[in-house]
Amino acid sequence: MMRGIHQNFDQQPAPAFFVRGPSPVARLMFFTALSLALMATDSRLQYLNNVRQTLMSLLQPLQAVASAPSNIYAFTNEYFSTHHHLLAENQQLKKQALRQNVDLQKLKLLTLENENLRGLLQAQQSLAETSTLAEIEYVGRDAFTKKIVVNRGTNHLIVTGAAAVDAKGVIGQVTRTYPATSEVTLITDKSLAIPVQIERNGLRAIAFGHGRDNTLELPYLPANVDIKVGDQLVTSGIDGIYPAGLAVASILKMNTSPDSPFARIVCVPTAGIENSRQVLLVSVPKAKAENNPKQGLNQNSKVLSAAEKANVPIAQPIAAHQAGVKPADLSLTNTEPAAMQKPVVQERKADHAQN
Amino acid sequence: MHKIKLQSVYISLLLAYICILFPWSDFVLSFRPDFMLLVILFWLLRAPNLCSVGTAWFMGLWVDLAMGGTFGQYALAYTITAFFAVVYQRRLVLFSKTQQLVYVFLLLVLSQIVLLILKAFAGSQFIGWSYFIPSFTGVVFWQIAVSLGLNTGRHSHGK
Repeated sequence: MMRGIHQNFDQQPAPAFFVRGPSPVARLMFFTALSLALMATDSRLQYLNNVRQTLMSLLQPLQAVASAPSNIYAFTNEYFSTHHHLLAENQQLKKQALRQNVDLQKLKLLTLENENLRGLLQAQQSLAETSTLAEIEYVGRDAFTKKIVVNRGTNHLIVTGAAAVDAKGVIGQVTRTYPATSEVTLITDKSLAIPVQIERNGLRAIAFGHGRDNTLELPYLPANVDIKVGDQLVTSGIDGIYPAGLAVASILKMNTSPDSPFARIVCVPTAGIENSRQVLLVSVPKAKAENNPKQGLNQNSKVLSAAEKANVPIAQPIAAHQAGVKPADLSLTNTEPAAMQKPVVQERKADHAQN
Repeated sequence: MHKIKLQSVYISLLLAYICILFPWSDFVLSFRPDFMLLVILFWLLRAPNLCSVGTAWFMGLWVDLAMGGTFGQYALAYTITAFFAVVYQRRLVLFSKTQQLVYVFLLLVLSQIVLLILKAFAGSQFIGWSYFIPSFTGVVFWQIAVSLGLNTGRHSHGK
Protein backbone atom coordinates (compact mmCIF):
# COMPACT_ATOMS: atom_id res chain seq x y z
CA MET A 1 0.00 0.00 0.00
CA MET A 2 2.70 2.42 1.04
CA ARG A 3 4.74 1.38 -1.90
CA GLY A 4 1.82 2.10 -4.22
CA ILE A 5 1.41 5.63 -2.91
CA HIS A 6 5.13 6.16 -3.19
CA GLN A 7 5.07 5.05 -6.79
CA ASN A 8 2.16 7.33 -7.45
CA PHE A 9 4.25 10.26 -6.26
CA ASP A 10 7.13 9.21 -8.45
CA GLN A 11 4.93 9.15 -11.47
CA GLN A 12 3.97 12.79 -11.09
CA PRO A 13 5.70 14.88 -13.77
CA ALA A 14 7.35 16.92 -11.06
CA PRO A 15 6.68 17.58 -7.40
CA ALA A 16 4.54 20.51 -8.45
CA PHE A 17 2.84 20.98 -5.11
CA PHE A 18 5.70 22.53 -3.18
CA VAL A 19 8.50 23.33 -5.58
CA ARG A 20 6.85 26.13 -7.46
CA GLY A 21 9.13 29.02 -6.83
CA PRO A 22 7.46 32.33 -6.03
CA SER A 23 3.70 32.22 -5.51
CA PRO A 24 1.47 33.02 -8.50
CA VAL A 25 0.38 36.26 -6.84
CA ALA A 26 3.98 37.41 -6.51
CA ARG A 27 4.61 36.52 -10.14
CA LEU A 28 1.46 38.33 -11.21
CA MET A 29 2.52 41.46 -9.34
CA PHE A 30 6.04 41.34 -10.71
CA PHE A 31 5.11 40.80 -14.36
CA THR A 32 2.22 43.26 -14.21
CA ALA A 33 4.56 45.93 -12.93
CA LEU A 34 7.06 45.04 -15.62
CA SER A 35 4.41 45.25 -18.36
CA LEU A 36 3.14 48.60 -17.10
CA ALA A 37 6.69 49.95 -16.99
CA LEU A 38 7.28 48.72 -20.54
CA MET A 39 4.07 50.29 -21.79
CA ALA A 40 4.94 53.61 -20.21
CA THR A 41 8.47 53.51 -21.62
CA ASP A 42 7.33 52.56 -25.09
CA SER A 43 4.52 55.07 -25.40
CA ARG A 44 6.17 58.06 -23.70
CA LEU A 45 9.88 57.66 -24.36
CA GLN A 46 11.66 56.62 -27.51
CA TYR A 47 14.13 54.16 -25.96
CA LEU A 48 12.53 51.01 -27.33
CA ASN A 49 12.58 51.94 -31.02
CA ASN A 50 16.01 50.40 -31.55
CA VAL A 51 15.04 47.31 -29.57
CA ARG A 52 11.95 46.91 -31.73
CA GLN A 53 14.00 47.27 -34.91
CA THR A 54 16.54 44.67 -33.80
CA LEU A 55 13.90 42.19 -32.71
CA MET A 56 11.99 42.68 -35.95
CA SER A 57 15.08 41.83 -37.98
CA LEU A 58 15.49 38.72 -35.84
CA LEU A 59 11.90 37.88 -36.64
CA GLN A 60 12.50 38.10 -40.38
CA PRO A 61 13.32 34.39 -40.94
CA LEU A 62 10.23 33.33 -38.96
CA GLN A 63 8.12 35.72 -40.99
CA ALA A 64 9.54 34.21 -44.16
CA VAL A 65 8.55 30.74 -42.95
CA ALA A 66 5.06 31.94 -42.11
CA SER A 67 4.64 33.71 -45.45
CA ALA A 68 5.97 30.79 -47.47
CA PRO A 69 2.63 28.98 -48.07
CA SER A 70 0.87 32.04 -49.42
CA ASN A 71 3.91 33.01 -51.47
CA ILE A 72 4.08 29.57 -53.03
CA TYR A 73 0.37 29.72 -53.78
CA ALA A 74 0.73 33.14 -55.43
CA PHE A 75 3.71 31.92 -57.44
CA THR A 76 2.02 28.79 -58.75
CA ASN A 77 -1.11 30.77 -59.50
CA GLU A 78 0.94 33.16 -61.58
CA TYR A 79 2.86 30.36 -63.24
CA PHE A 80 -0.21 28.48 -64.34
CA SER A 81 -2.23 31.49 -65.44
CA THR A 82 -3.84 30.79 -68.78
CA HIS A 83 -2.73 31.97 -72.19
CA HIS A 84 -6.09 33.56 -72.80
CA HIS A 85 -5.95 35.50 -69.57
CA LEU A 86 -2.48 36.82 -70.35
CA LEU A 87 -3.52 37.88 -73.85
CA ALA A 88 -6.52 39.76 -72.53
CA GLU A 89 -4.37 41.49 -69.95
CA ASN A 90 -1.78 42.35 -72.56
CA GLN A 91 -4.45 43.92 -74.78
CA GLN A 92 -5.78 45.95 -71.92
CA LEU A 93 -2.33 47.14 -70.88
CA LYS A 94 -1.52 48.17 -74.46
CA LYS A 95 -4.66 50.27 -74.63
CA GLN A 96 -3.85 51.80 -71.29
CA ALA A 97 -0.29 52.56 -72.37
CA LEU A 98 -1.53 54.29 -75.52
CA ARG A 99 -3.92 56.44 -73.54
CA GLN A 100 -1.26 57.33 -71.03
CA ASN A 101 1.29 58.10 -73.73
CA VAL A 102 -1.00 60.78 -75.11
CA ASP A 103 -1.40 62.20 -71.63
CA LEU A 104 2.33 62.06 -71.10
CA GLN A 105 3.05 64.14 -74.19
CA LYS A 106 0.76 66.84 -72.93
CA LEU A 107 2.36 66.51 -69.55
CA LYS A 108 5.81 67.44 -70.86
CA LEU A 109 4.41 70.58 -72.39
CA LEU A 110 2.56 71.45 -69.23
CA THR A 111 5.61 70.85 -67.06
CA LEU A 112 7.59 73.27 -69.18
CA GLU A 113 4.79 75.79 -69.10
CA ASN A 114 4.47 75.39 -65.37
CA GLU A 115 8.18 75.97 -64.84
CA ASN A 116 8.05 79.11 -66.91
CA LEU A 117 5.04 80.40 -65.00
CA ARG A 118 6.70 79.63 -61.70
CA GLY A 119 9.73 81.50 -62.94
CA LEU A 120 7.58 84.50 -63.74
CA LEU A 121 5.96 84.34 -60.31
CA GLN A 122 9.40 83.92 -58.73
CA ALA A 123 8.02 80.90 -56.95
CA GLN A 124 10.23 78.06 -55.87
CA GLN A 125 10.63 75.31 -58.41
CA SER A 126 8.94 72.14 -57.39
CA LEU A 127 11.19 69.28 -56.46
CA ALA A 128 10.74 65.82 -57.86
CA GLU A 129 9.75 63.29 -55.25
CA THR A 130 11.39 59.90 -54.97
CA SER A 131 9.27 56.81 -55.15
CA THR A 132 9.80 53.12 -54.49
CA LEU A 133 7.55 50.28 -55.52
CA ALA A 134 6.68 47.95 -52.65
CA GLU A 135 4.52 44.92 -52.24
CA ILE A 136 2.16 44.32 -49.34
CA GLU A 137 3.44 41.49 -47.17
CA TYR A 138 0.57 41.18 -44.77
CA VAL A 139 -2.29 43.09 -43.22
CA GLY A 140 -1.73 44.47 -39.74
CA ARG A 141 -2.74 41.90 -37.13
CA ASP A 142 -4.07 44.32 -34.59
CA ALA A 143 -7.83 44.69 -34.85
CA PHE A 144 -7.72 48.18 -33.36
CA THR A 145 -5.55 49.76 -36.02
CA LYS A 146 -5.61 49.80 -39.79
CA LYS A 147 -2.14 48.99 -40.96
CA ILE A 148 -0.34 47.08 -43.66
CA VAL A 149 3.26 45.92 -43.78
CA VAL A 150 5.16 46.26 -47.05
CA ASN A 151 8.39 44.63 -48.15
CA ARG A 152 10.59 47.71 -48.34
CA GLY A 153 12.41 49.17 -45.37
CA THR A 154 15.37 51.24 -44.26
CA ASN A 155 17.59 49.02 -46.42
CA HIS A 156 15.76 50.47 -49.41
CA LEU A 157 16.00 54.04 -48.05
CA ILE A 158 12.39 54.24 -46.95
CA VAL A 159 11.87 56.89 -44.29
CA THR A 160 8.99 57.34 -41.89
CA GLY A 161 6.52 59.85 -43.18
CA ALA A 162 6.60 58.71 -46.80
CA ALA A 163 3.20 58.55 -48.47
CA ALA A 164 1.87 55.23 -49.74
CA VAL A 165 -0.06 55.45 -53.00
CA ASP A 166 -1.64 52.95 -55.35
CA ALA A 167 -2.87 53.43 -58.92
CA LYS A 168 -6.11 55.03 -57.75
CA GLY A 169 -5.00 57.25 -54.92
CA VAL A 170 -3.53 57.62 -51.46
CA ILE A 171 -3.48 54.57 -49.21
CA GLY A 172 -1.67 55.84 -46.16
CA GLN A 173 1.61 56.85 -44.66
CA VAL A 174 4.72 55.01 -43.52
CA THR A 175 4.72 55.19 -39.74
CA ARG A 176 7.45 52.74 -38.78
CA THR A 177 10.42 51.41 -40.67
CA TYR A 178 12.32 48.21 -40.06
CA PRO A 179 15.40 47.04 -41.98
CA ALA A 180 13.51 44.99 -44.57
CA THR A 181 9.89 46.01 -44.05
CA SER A 182 7.93 49.04 -43.13
CA GLU A 183 4.56 49.64 -41.59
CA VAL A 184 2.01 51.77 -43.40
CA THR A 185 -0.88 53.24 -41.44
CA LEU A 186 -3.91 53.44 -43.71
CA ILE A 187 -5.88 56.63 -44.15
CA THR A 188 -8.86 54.87 -42.60
CA ASP A 189 -6.98 54.47 -39.30
CA LYS A 190 -8.33 56.64 -36.52
CA SER A 191 -4.97 58.17 -35.73
CA LEU A 192 -4.20 59.36 -39.24
CA ALA A 193 -5.23 62.76 -40.57
CA ILE A 194 -4.67 63.91 -44.11
CA PRO A 195 -4.97 67.46 -45.46
CA VAL A 196 -7.29 67.48 -48.45
CA GLN A 197 -8.90 69.81 -50.91
CA ILE A 198 -12.23 69.51 -52.64
CA GLU A 199 -11.34 69.11 -56.30
CA ARG A 200 -14.41 71.04 -57.44
CA ASN A 201 -13.94 74.28 -55.51
CA GLY A 202 -10.52 74.10 -53.86
CA LEU A 203 -11.94 74.13 -50.34
CA ARG A 204 -9.39 72.85 -47.87
CA ALA A 205 -10.13 70.46 -45.02
CA ILE A 206 -8.57 67.69 -43.01
CA ALA A 207 -9.85 64.15 -43.37
CA PHE A 208 -9.63 61.80 -40.41
CA GLY A 209 -9.86 58.05 -40.57
CA HIS A 210 -13.00 56.66 -39.00
CA GLY A 211 -11.25 53.55 -37.74
CA ARG A 212 -14.15 51.15 -38.08
CA ASP A 213 -15.76 50.65 -41.45
CA ASN A 214 -13.17 51.83 -43.97
CA THR A 215 -14.45 55.36 -44.21
CA LEU A 216 -13.05 58.80 -43.58
CA GLU A 217 -14.65 61.80 -41.92
CA LEU A 218 -14.43 65.51 -42.54
CA PRO A 219 -15.07 67.04 -39.14
CA TYR A 220 -15.23 70.71 -38.10
CA LEU A 221 -16.81 71.93 -41.30
CA PRO A 222 -19.83 74.26 -40.94
CA ALA A 223 -23.28 72.96 -41.82
CA ASN A 224 -23.55 75.28 -44.81
CA VAL A 225 -20.26 74.19 -46.36
CA ASP A 226 -20.17 73.84 -50.15
CA ILE A 227 -19.78 70.08 -50.39
CA LYS A 228 -21.95 67.72 -52.41
CA VAL A 229 -22.26 63.98 -52.37
CA GLY A 230 -19.85 62.61 -54.98
CA ASP A 231 -17.28 65.38 -54.66
CA GLN A 232 -13.69 64.21 -55.04
CA LEU A 233 -11.12 64.92 -52.37
CA VAL A 234 -7.48 65.31 -53.40
CA THR A 235 -4.40 65.91 -51.27
CA SER A 236 -3.64 69.58 -50.79
CA GLY A 237 0.07 69.07 -50.23
CA ILE A 238 0.10 71.57 -47.39
CA ASP A 239 1.60 69.08 -44.96
CA GLY A 240 4.71 68.55 -47.08
CA ILE A 241 4.15 64.79 -46.82
CA TYR A 242 1.73 63.92 -49.56
CA PRO A 243 2.38 65.26 -53.05
CA ALA A 244 -0.48 67.55 -54.02
CA GLY A 245 -3.30 66.41 -56.23
CA LEU A 246 -3.49 62.73 -55.37
CA ALA A 247 -6.99 61.34 -55.12
CA VAL A 248 -7.97 60.50 -51.55
CA ALA A 249 -11.68 59.90 -51.24
CA SER A 250 -15.11 60.80 -52.51
CA ILE A 251 -18.01 62.08 -50.43
CA LEU A 252 -20.43 59.30 -49.60
CA LYS A 253 -22.98 61.15 -47.50
CA MET A 254 -23.43 64.44 -45.78
CA ASN A 255 -25.77 64.98 -42.86
CA THR A 256 -26.63 68.20 -41.16
CA SER A 257 -28.59 68.21 -37.95
CA PRO A 258 -30.26 71.32 -36.55
CA ASP A 259 -28.62 70.95 -33.14
CA SER A 260 -25.07 70.88 -34.43
CA PRO A 261 -23.19 73.73 -36.10
CA PHE A 262 -21.06 71.18 -37.96
CA ALA A 263 -21.90 68.92 -40.84
CA ARG A 264 -21.28 65.22 -40.56
CA ILE A 265 -19.48 64.21 -43.73
CA VAL A 266 -18.51 60.63 -44.52
CA CYS A 267 -16.19 59.76 -47.40
CA VAL A 268 -15.00 56.52 -48.97
CA PRO A 269 -11.37 56.16 -50.01
CA THR A 270 -10.74 56.03 -53.76
CA ALA A 271 -7.69 53.81 -53.48
CA GLY A 272 -8.16 50.07 -53.24
CA ILE A 273 -7.23 50.03 -49.58
CA GLU A 274 -8.31 46.45 -49.11
CA ASN A 275 -7.43 44.91 -52.45
CA SER A 276 -4.29 46.38 -53.98
CA ARG A 277 -1.13 44.34 -53.73
CA GLN A 278 1.49 46.82 -54.91
CA VAL A 279 1.94 50.27 -53.46
CA LEU A 280 4.21 53.15 -54.33
CA LEU A 281 6.05 54.79 -51.43
CA VAL A 282 6.53 58.45 -52.29
CA SER A 283 8.60 60.81 -50.20
CA VAL A 284 8.74 64.52 -50.82
CA PRO A 285 12.35 65.70 -50.47
CA LYS A 286 13.06 67.82 -47.43
CA ALA A 287 16.25 69.45 -48.71
CA LYS A 288 14.66 72.87 -49.12
CA ALA A 289 16.28 74.64 -46.22
CA GLU A 290 19.73 73.51 -47.30
CA ASN A 291 19.17 74.53 -50.89
CA ASN A 292 18.00 77.95 -49.98
CA PRO A 293 19.39 79.27 -46.71
CA LYS A 294 17.43 82.50 -46.97
CA GLN A 295 14.21 80.58 -46.82
CA GLY A 296 15.41 78.64 -43.83
CA LEU A 297 15.50 81.90 -41.89
CA ASN A 298 11.91 82.63 -42.69
CA GLN A 299 10.62 79.65 -40.89
CA ASN A 300 9.96 81.42 -37.65
CA SER A 301 6.43 80.21 -37.31
CA LYS A 302 4.70 77.00 -38.12
CA VAL A 303 2.08 78.71 -40.27
CA LEU A 304 4.75 80.27 -42.43
CA SER A 305 6.60 77.04 -42.93
CA ALA A 306 3.35 75.29 -43.72
CA ALA A 307 2.64 77.87 -46.40
CA GLU A 308 6.12 77.35 -47.78
CA LYS A 309 5.73 73.65 -47.79
CA ALA A 310 2.52 74.09 -49.68
CA ASN A 311 4.54 75.71 -52.35
CA VAL A 312 6.71 72.77 -53.06
CA PRO A 313 4.36 70.11 -54.18
CA ILE A 314 1.39 72.13 -55.30
CA ALA A 315 2.09 72.19 -58.98
CA GLN A 316 3.29 68.75 -59.71
CA PRO A 317 1.64 67.67 -62.88
CA ILE A 318 2.67 64.07 -62.35
CA ALA A 319 0.72 64.01 -59.14
CA ALA A 320 -2.32 65.56 -60.75
CA HIS A 321 -1.98 63.11 -63.56
CA GLN A 322 -1.99 60.20 -61.15
CA ALA A 323 -5.04 61.58 -59.47
CA GLY A 324 -6.98 61.06 -62.63
CA VAL A 325 -7.41 64.74 -63.47
CA LYS A 326 -8.05 64.96 -67.17
CA PRO A 327 -5.37 66.75 -69.17
CA ALA A 328 -7.90 69.32 -70.25
CA ASP A 329 -8.43 70.26 -66.63
CA LEU A 330 -4.79 71.17 -66.35
CA SER A 331 -4.79 73.72 -69.13
CA LEU A 332 -4.76 77.27 -67.90
CA THR A 333 -7.92 78.29 -69.72
CA ASN A 334 -9.86 76.14 -67.32
CA THR A 335 -10.70 77.89 -64.10
CA GLU A 336 -10.70 74.84 -61.86
CA PRO A 337 -7.00 74.28 -61.31
CA ALA A 338 -6.51 77.99 -61.06
CA ALA A 339 -9.00 78.01 -58.22
CA MET A 340 -7.15 75.15 -56.65
CA GLN A 341 -3.86 76.93 -56.76
CA LYS A 342 -5.18 80.32 -55.86
CA PRO A 343 -5.22 80.05 -52.07
CA VAL A 344 -1.67 78.84 -52.03
CA VAL A 345 -0.47 81.65 -54.24
CA GLN A 346 -2.14 84.10 -51.90
CA GLU A 347 -0.38 82.57 -48.97
CA ARG A 348 2.84 82.84 -50.83
CA LYS A 349 2.27 86.55 -51.34
CA ALA A 350 1.49 87.01 -47.68
CA ASP A 351 4.69 85.21 -46.97
CA HIS A 352 6.62 87.65 -49.14
CA ALA A 353 4.91 90.60 -47.54
CA GLN A 354 6.03 89.48 -44.13
CA ASN A 355 9.57 89.10 -45.31
CA MET B 1 2.44 8.71 -18.07
CA HIS B 2 5.59 9.95 -19.69
CA LYS B 3 7.27 13.10 -18.62
CA ILE B 4 6.71 16.15 -20.81
CA LYS B 5 9.86 17.57 -22.26
CA LEU B 6 10.62 21.27 -22.11
CA GLN B 7 11.45 21.06 -25.79
CA SER B 8 7.90 20.21 -26.80
CA VAL B 9 6.66 23.26 -24.88
CA TYR B 10 9.03 25.54 -26.72
CA ILE B 11 8.34 24.00 -30.12
CA SER B 12 4.59 24.32 -29.69
CA LEU B 13 4.97 27.95 -28.61
CA LEU B 14 7.12 28.61 -31.67
CA LEU B 15 4.52 27.01 -33.93
CA ALA B 16 1.79 29.11 -32.33
CA TYR B 17 3.89 32.18 -32.97
CA ILE B 18 4.32 31.26 -36.64
CA CYS B 19 0.53 30.90 -36.81
CA ILE B 20 0.27 34.48 -35.59
CA LEU B 21 2.83 35.65 -38.16
CA PHE B 22 0.92 33.96 -40.96
CA PRO B 23 -0.27 36.57 -43.47
CA TRP B 24 -4.01 36.36 -42.78
CA SER B 25 -6.42 38.27 -44.90
CA ASP B 26 -8.50 40.96 -43.26
CA PHE B 27 -11.62 38.82 -43.10
CA VAL B 28 -10.00 35.72 -41.63
CA LEU B 29 -8.16 37.95 -39.19
CA SER B 30 -11.38 38.81 -37.38
CA PHE B 31 -12.04 35.09 -36.81
CA ARG B 32 -8.52 34.02 -35.98
CA PRO B 33 -8.26 32.65 -32.45
CA ASP B 34 -5.40 33.68 -30.21
CA PHE B 35 -3.23 30.61 -30.92
CA MET B 36 -0.52 31.74 -28.58
CA LEU B 37 -2.83 32.08 -25.59
CA LEU B 38 -4.45 28.72 -26.34
CA VAL B 39 -1.07 26.98 -26.34
CA ILE B 40 -0.01 28.78 -23.17
CA LEU B 41 -3.25 27.82 -21.41
CA PHE B 42 -2.84 24.23 -22.51
CA TRP B 43 0.64 24.00 -21.04
CA LEU B 44 -0.42 25.85 -17.90
CA LEU B 45 -3.02 23.13 -17.28
CA ARG B 46 -0.93 20.23 -18.47
CA ALA B 47 2.52 21.07 -17.22
CA PRO B 48 2.47 23.95 -14.74
CA ASN B 49 6.03 23.14 -13.79
CA LEU B 50 7.28 23.94 -17.28
CA CYS B 51 5.07 26.87 -18.20
CA SER B 52 4.24 29.65 -15.79
CA VAL B 53 3.07 33.24 -15.59
CA GLY B 54 6.56 34.27 -16.65
CA THR B 55 6.35 32.23 -19.85
CA ALA B 56 3.02 33.85 -20.65
CA TRP B 57 4.51 37.28 -20.09
CA PHE B 58 7.54 36.55 -22.27
CA MET B 59 5.47 35.18 -25.15
CA GLY B 60 3.14 38.16 -24.74
CA LEU B 61 6.06 40.43 -25.48
CA TRP B 62 6.73 38.61 -28.74
CA VAL B 63 3.07 38.85 -29.69
CA ASP B 64 3.26 42.57 -28.94
CA LEU B 65 6.14 42.81 -31.36
CA ALA B 66 4.21 40.98 -34.08
CA MET B 67 1.10 43.08 -33.54
CA GLY B 68 3.08 46.28 -33.79
CA GLY B 69 1.38 47.92 -30.83
CA THR B 70 2.88 49.31 -27.64
CA PHE B 71 5.17 46.85 -25.88
CA GLY B 72 3.58 45.26 -22.83
CA GLN B 73 -0.10 45.19 -23.81
CA TYR B 74 -0.35 41.53 -24.76
CA ALA B 75 2.25 40.74 -22.11
CA LEU B 76 -0.02 42.14 -19.41
CA ALA B 77 -3.15 40.52 -20.82
CA TYR B 78 -1.42 37.13 -20.95
CA THR B 79 0.06 37.58 -17.47
CA ILE B 80 -3.34 38.20 -15.89
CA THR B 81 -4.98 35.36 -17.82
CA ALA B 82 -2.16 32.97 -16.95
CA PHE B 83 -2.49 33.93 -13.30
CA PHE B 84 -6.14 32.88 -13.23
CA ALA B 85 -5.29 29.68 -15.05
CA VAL B 86 -2.50 28.83 -12.59
CA VAL B 87 -4.48 29.66 -9.48
CA TYR B 88 -7.28 27.27 -10.43
CA GLN B 89 -5.05 24.73 -12.19
CA ARG B 90 -5.43 22.02 -9.49
CA ARG B 91 -9.21 22.30 -9.65
CA LEU B 92 -9.32 22.65 -13.43
CA VAL B 93 -7.70 19.31 -14.14
CA LEU B 94 -10.46 17.68 -12.09
CA PHE B 95 -13.20 19.44 -14.03
CA SER B 96 -15.21 17.69 -16.68
CA LYS B 97 -14.43 18.53 -20.30
CA THR B 98 -17.41 20.88 -20.58
CA GLN B 99 -16.47 22.70 -17.40
CA GLN B 100 -12.93 23.04 -18.66
CA LEU B 101 -14.21 24.40 -21.93
CA VAL B 102 -16.29 27.05 -20.19
CA TYR B 103 -13.35 28.04 -18.04
CA VAL B 104 -11.03 28.31 -21.04
CA PHE B 105 -13.63 30.47 -22.76
CA LEU B 106 -13.80 32.75 -19.72
CA LEU B 107 -10.02 33.03 -19.71
CA LEU B 108 -9.93 33.93 -23.41
CA VAL B 109 -12.59 36.59 -22.89
CA LEU B 110 -10.69 37.88 -19.87
CA SER B 111 -7.54 38.38 -21.93
CA GLN B 112 -9.52 40.21 -24.59
CA ILE B 113 -11.18 42.46 -22.01
CA VAL B 114 -7.82 43.33 -20.45
CA LEU B 115 -6.52 44.13 -23.91
CA LEU B 116 -9.59 46.21 -24.69
CA ILE B 117 -9.09 48.27 -21.52
CA LEU B 118 -5.41 48.82 -22.32
CA LYS B 119 -6.25 49.83 -25.90
CA ALA B 120 -8.95 52.17 -24.63
CA PHE B 121 -6.36 53.88 -22.45
CA ALA B 122 -4.15 54.23 -25.51
CA GLY B 123 -6.98 56.04 -27.30
CA SER B 124 -8.42 53.29 -29.47
CA GLN B 125 -12.10 52.84 -30.02
CA PHE B 126 -14.17 49.70 -29.39
CA ILE B 127 -14.50 48.01 -32.77
CA GLY B 128 -17.85 46.37 -32.06
CA TRP B 129 -18.96 43.08 -30.63
CA SER B 130 -17.24 41.16 -33.42
CA TYR B 131 -14.12 41.86 -31.37
CA PHE B 132 -15.00 38.89 -29.17
CA ILE B 133 -15.34 36.38 -32.04
CA PRO B 134 -11.75 35.09 -31.55
CA SER B 135 -12.72 33.86 -28.08
CA PHE B 136 -15.46 31.71 -29.58
CA THR B 137 -13.26 30.35 -32.36
CA GLY B 138 -10.58 29.76 -29.72
CA VAL B 139 -12.94 27.54 -27.75
CA VAL B 140 -13.90 25.72 -30.95
CA PHE B 141 -10.21 25.04 -31.60
CA TRP B 142 -9.78 23.83 -28.03
CA GLN B 143 -12.72 21.46 -28.43
CA ILE B 144 -11.37 20.16 -31.75
CA ALA B 145 -7.97 19.55 -30.15
CA VAL B 146 -9.55 17.75 -27.19
CA SER B 147 -11.75 15.56 -29.37
CA LEU B 148 -8.71 14.71 -31.50
CA GLY B 149 -7.21 13.24 -28.37
CA LEU B 150 -5.15 16.06 -26.92
CA ASN B 151 -4.77 15.43 -23.22
CA THR B 152 -5.57 18.61 -21.33
CA GLY B 153 -4.38 17.19 -18.04
CA ARG B 154 -7.67 15.66 -16.95
CA HIS B 155 -6.89 12.02 -17.55
CA SER B 156 -3.37 12.07 -16.20
CA HIS B 157 -4.79 11.61 -12.72
CA GLY B 158 -6.69 8.46 -13.43
CA LYS B 159 -3.58 6.53 -14.36
